[in-house]
Amino acid sequence: MLKVIYILMVWLLAFPAYGLDGNQLLKQVDRNLAPESYEAYRKIINIEPDGKKKEFTYFTVKKGADKIAGLFLAPASEKGRTTLRVGENMWLFIPNVGKPIRITSLQSVVGGVFNNADILNLDYTEEYHVEKIEESGEEMLLMLKAKTKSVAYDRLKMWVDMKKKLPTRLECLTEASMLIKTIYFKEVKDFGAGLVRPAVIETDSPLYKGFKSVMVFAKMKKRDFKDEAFTLTNMPNIDSLR
Amino acid sequence: MAFRRTSNAERRTDLSRIVILFWILLSLPGKLVLAEDYKLELSEIDKKPYHLGGYLEFRPVLNGLDRGAALYQVQFYNQNVGNPLGVTNEKLQLEGSLEKGISRLFARVNTDIQNSYQGWTEKTTLYEGFLSVKPSSALVLEAGKKTMKWGKGYAWNPVAFLDRPKNPDDPDLDLEGYSVFSVDYTKSFAGPLKTLSFTPVLVPVGDSINEDFGDRYYLNFAGKLYFLFYDTDIDLLFLSGGSKTPRFGFDFSRNITPNFEVHGEWAWTSQAKKTPVDENGKPSLSEVNAQSYLLGLRYLTSRDTTLIFEYYRNEAGFTTRETEAYFSFVHASYDLYRRTGNDGPIQRAANFSQGLYGRFTPMQDYLYLRISQKEPFDILYFTPALTGIYNLDDRSFSLSPELLYAGITNLEFRLKGTFLYGERLTEFGEKQNDYRIEFRVRYFF
Repeated sequence: MLKVIYILMVWLLAFPAYGLDGNQLLKQVDRNLAPESYEAYRKIINIEPDGKKKEFTYFTVKKGADKIAGLFLAPASEKGRTTLRVGENMWLFIPNVGKPIRITSLQSVVGGVFNNADILNLDYTEEYHVEKIEESGEEMLLMLKAKTKSVAYDRLKMWVDMKKKLPTRLECLTEASMLIKTIYFKEVKDFGAGLVRPAVIETDSPLYKGFKSVMVFAKMKKRDFKDEAFTLTNMPNIDSLR
Repeated sequence: MAFRRTSNAERRTDLSRIVILFWILLSLPGKLVLAEDYKLELSEIDKKPYHLGGYLEFRPVLNGLDRGAALYQVQFYNQNVGNPLGVTNEKLQLEGSLEKGISRLFARVNTDIQNSYQGWTEKTTLYEGFLSVKPSSALVLEAGKKTMKWGKGYAWNPVAFLDRPKNPDDPDLDLEGYSVFSVDYTKSFAGPLKTLSFTPVLVPVGDSINEDFGDRYYLNFAGKLYFLFYDTDIDLLFLSGGSKTPRFGFDFSRNITPNFEVHGEWAWTSQAKKTPVDENGKPSLSEVNAQSYLLGLRYLTSRDTTLIFEYYRNEAGFTTRETEAYFSFVHASYDLYRRTGNDGPIQRAANFSQGLYGRFTPMQDYLYLRISQKEPFDILYFTPALTGIYNLDDRSFSLSPELLYAGITNLEFRLKGTFLYGERLTEFGEKQNDYRIEFRVRYFF
């Protein structure tokens, strides 16, 4: 009897792979990674092959599908710099320069392996659609294709833990499927209010052999903001949102 | 006035001290911050109501003087200084803020200390000091001394009606502001018009407020209307009121592709004044309605090379004839002083150099090109760059190679050279220097 129940359970668990909507799963992944509107603190650590590190402390606020802003809290040389993304537009504000300048998703305001697209990341469903979905052991493998040419990575391969509906690994690829970087989602943690997600994101790249960058999340929570917080005019005042 | 010629031995000692300091600082361990592996402590992100920070800068400069240049002659006509001429500069820039509720007080103070052929000098300036009140996310009121930094151009900003002129060879340097009262009112929308923001500004000018802004005893009114429209930043700007002649303009900035940005500015100034000087040193006043505009682009290649290119036109700038006439007057005055000791004309020439003739890019047509490469040969945090400014009118130019290294937390090193090329009677050919080499160390805290 137990054998029958076991076989039935395996069969039922296998079924979803064939009836599963990839885009729905991606939406779930997005919501499990973060509320649609939230605030969060993170530390970005660039690690060189010889072990030397450079660290940045960063405050992020996000609203809805396409608005995200950030403020550097440390080190002192970066403190006060802010970033803003509204849809496909990205800007960097440096207090000494005094006015925002447009930046691109492929640049990096912190150096290292993470670029602006990784730091100011929108929901995956906002920028990608799922082309294919496959089983990969206990995970599902989603093949994502960028919706527009302006997205940083043309293709993504996302491995999703089906129990937690969270990504475990992400490969970022060019149109020709060349690997740009791999992102690993680690140390799942309860951030409170039902938000359970990876607290550590690591990345490495075959283009930067021996280098690694790590993002450590803390104090992520759901929060609503006015649209005006995500404007060029407000870039010098993002600290007032803390 | 006492002055001292710097000897060759002293210059070699200064240079060797700089090199030793450079190598000591480079060999410091990169981990100058406590790096706790993969941890973010809550104490690191606690918000305090106050902040104090800034940077300390050490910047020795070596000036290779051009003794035959007009601007050398007006500066040093009665002095005998060494060549090259060494100058050491120290800077302390402090900024602090205090927040309570919806209010915030901010100040930035700059202290420059210089040791040159004139001895030690010190100057402390309040660059910014203002109170900001933010009753809502859509409204900010500010009063005090602040920089407005209007414009989208990198090297020049024709629409920067409320800012001091910047150095196109070093446009990111922060500048002293003016005392203003301003309001920022912002609204966001769905649809092609995503943001609308209006910034009216009042600029009083009197005996002890904004006295160098323009004519005194006026209350000036300026404003900026900003749109984010179809993914394009657009500003409409104006200034009126009396201290300066009325002017208005617009600017824009847009990404054509993610790695290709275009920007531009256009300004119209009513009765723009300039005072050209003829070969005999006689000034004349001209007032023209003048346009000035700028068109530029920024392009990032797949190899992380950034190119910034701009064309700048300023109808209120000097023509080639006007600058040639002034420089001819300077040379004639200098010759007269050398022959007869009569310093009247050369002193008049020196006074004119304090005005538009001594400013950055005082003529009409320029090109700007800056090429920077992020981390070539995989040298982390290292960015070499080359900047060129070309005067289209007289075909003189400057070239500035630089090396920037920021691999040690809170330390930044920059080695920069500037080399000037031009015939006699041209802008860059008549600058005080043939070259300038500068080493800058900044420590942020």
